[in-house]
Amino acid sequence: MNHPDGNIKLLVLLGISVMLLLFVSFLLVFISTQRRKYQYQKNLQRLREAQQDLLIEAAVRSEESERSRIAEALHDEMGALLFSAKLHFQNIRLNENDPGNWPLFRKGQEMLDEAIRKIRGISHNLHSSILQEFGLFEAIKHFLRTSVDEHLMETGTSLECQYTPASKEDAVSVYRMVQELVNNILKHAHARKLHISCVNNGGVLVITLFHNGAGLTQEQFEELKFKQESMGFKIIQNRLILLKGKLFFSIRPDGCYIDLYLPQTL
Amino acid sequence: MAFFGVLLDWSEAWAPLIPIAVWLRHRQQPRYLAPVVAYVWFAFVTDLLIDGIWKLRLTIPPPWNSNNWLYNLHSLVRLFLFSWFFVRLRQPFLPRLKRWIPVLFGLYAAVDFGFYEHFFDYSNLSSRLLALEAGLLLFYCLQYYFYKVKEDEEMAGDQPDFWVVTGLGVYVAINFFIFLLYKELSVYYTRFAVDIWNVHNVSFILLQLFLARALIQKKTHSPAARYDPL
Repeated sequence: MNHPDGNIKLLVLLGISVMLLLFVSFLLVFISTQRRKYQYQKNLQRLREAQQDLLIEAAVRSEESERSRIAEALHDEMGALLFSAKLHFQNIRLNENDPGNWPLFRKGQEMLDEAIRKIRGISHNLHSSILQEFGLFEAIKHFLRTSVDEHLMETGTSLECQYTPASKEDAVSVYRMVQELVNNILKHAHARKLHISCVNNGGVLVITLFHNGAGLTQEQFEELKFKQESMGFKIIQNRLILLKGKLFFSIRPDGCYIDLYLPQTL
Repeated sequence: MAFFGVLLDWSEAWAPLIPIAVWLRHRQQPRYLAPVVAYVWFAFVTDLLIDGIWKLRLTIPPPWNSNNWLYNLHSLVRLFLFSWFFVRLRQPFLPRLKRWIPVLFGLYAAVDFGFYEHFFDYSNLSSRLLALEAGLLLFYCLQYYFYKVKEDEEMAGDQPDFWVVTGLGVYVAINFFIFLLYKELSVYYTRFAVDIWNVHNVSFILLQLFLARALIQKKTHSPAARYDPL
């Protein structure tokens, strides 16, 4: 049986072609719009990140220069002043007939020595000359030796891996992060053992801090870093953004681990 | 050629097995894909019956050897399930209309089959119902793209809903005119109607491939494995 109007076949074929063409064109326009939007958002994100990096970098640099200025002032002015006071103090002639003066004199001398030592320690902490002269790992070892009482905590390091920071400032940032983490362990973890090691994992430096005290889980760290009172974690976070690194906390049966991942090719 | 002919004839029955196989490997799916999973299972069962009845039409006695009512049923269920899918996407774009479309379609079907056509028509499927369904599904697809272009949200790499909508869009765009004029064609140009149904079958395979792609879920990794320095 033939239909009076034979164009129906043509209509079907034409209809299918037109509909398909329209839909595919619509789809292509949609995909290209989405791509443009995605590219725009990506560029915007990149700009935001660059701006954030610049701000963080400026904050970190100004913090470092402030630390250096304070360290210099403490070392050159306060240190020198105290040393001079000590020399003057040594030259005092005491009345030999009054034996009660001698213990006071010795106590005064001891206090001056202690003050000079403390000023030196603070000055080195603020601006590590070892870091500048001998590099990151020696500075970490030195920091651990000087800041941890060996009677209270057993410490060790295995820092024999290769690390070439992009700049001196980057090495300072890594040092500050390790310093902050160690200080946190000393302050909060009540650990008896602390070991710092490093490995070079395919262009990524992994510094691991292991301790047997009360550590943090990754979730706790993520929570803490947004709290206002966690200044130390915020400083770490800023430096991590700057170095494009990551920090992972984990608690395992043998103890607590803090893994600091730092890309070497920045 | 004969092999491809048989393959194409049975495509409605085997094509849903592709997304089903993917689903069996990736059972954990987002909530909004539940209607899609339900659809592929429904399509598999219904189309197996459709093709079975068609192949055995000379053995089965009338009126049981007609599969047209199954096409009508498939059309009704497909619209309801995909409407449910689009509502579940929770796009704040024409939400009230999207909720009303299945209701209105149901009312239309009730009136149409109540007064004008027979749901169990022995010789013809309901061209009007299938074409209206294709048109409504096409509207759903187009509003999805409009919303995506309009929204500020960044489009992530893996978007199952995009694959579902694109597959469905291609399927209904191709089949709108086939459904609309199929009744006429099957009466006046039977040979051409059989040939053009192969186009429907190819588009149906495409739809199932897109649905299968949507059901492939990417695995998440542990924090350390996620680390990507640059």
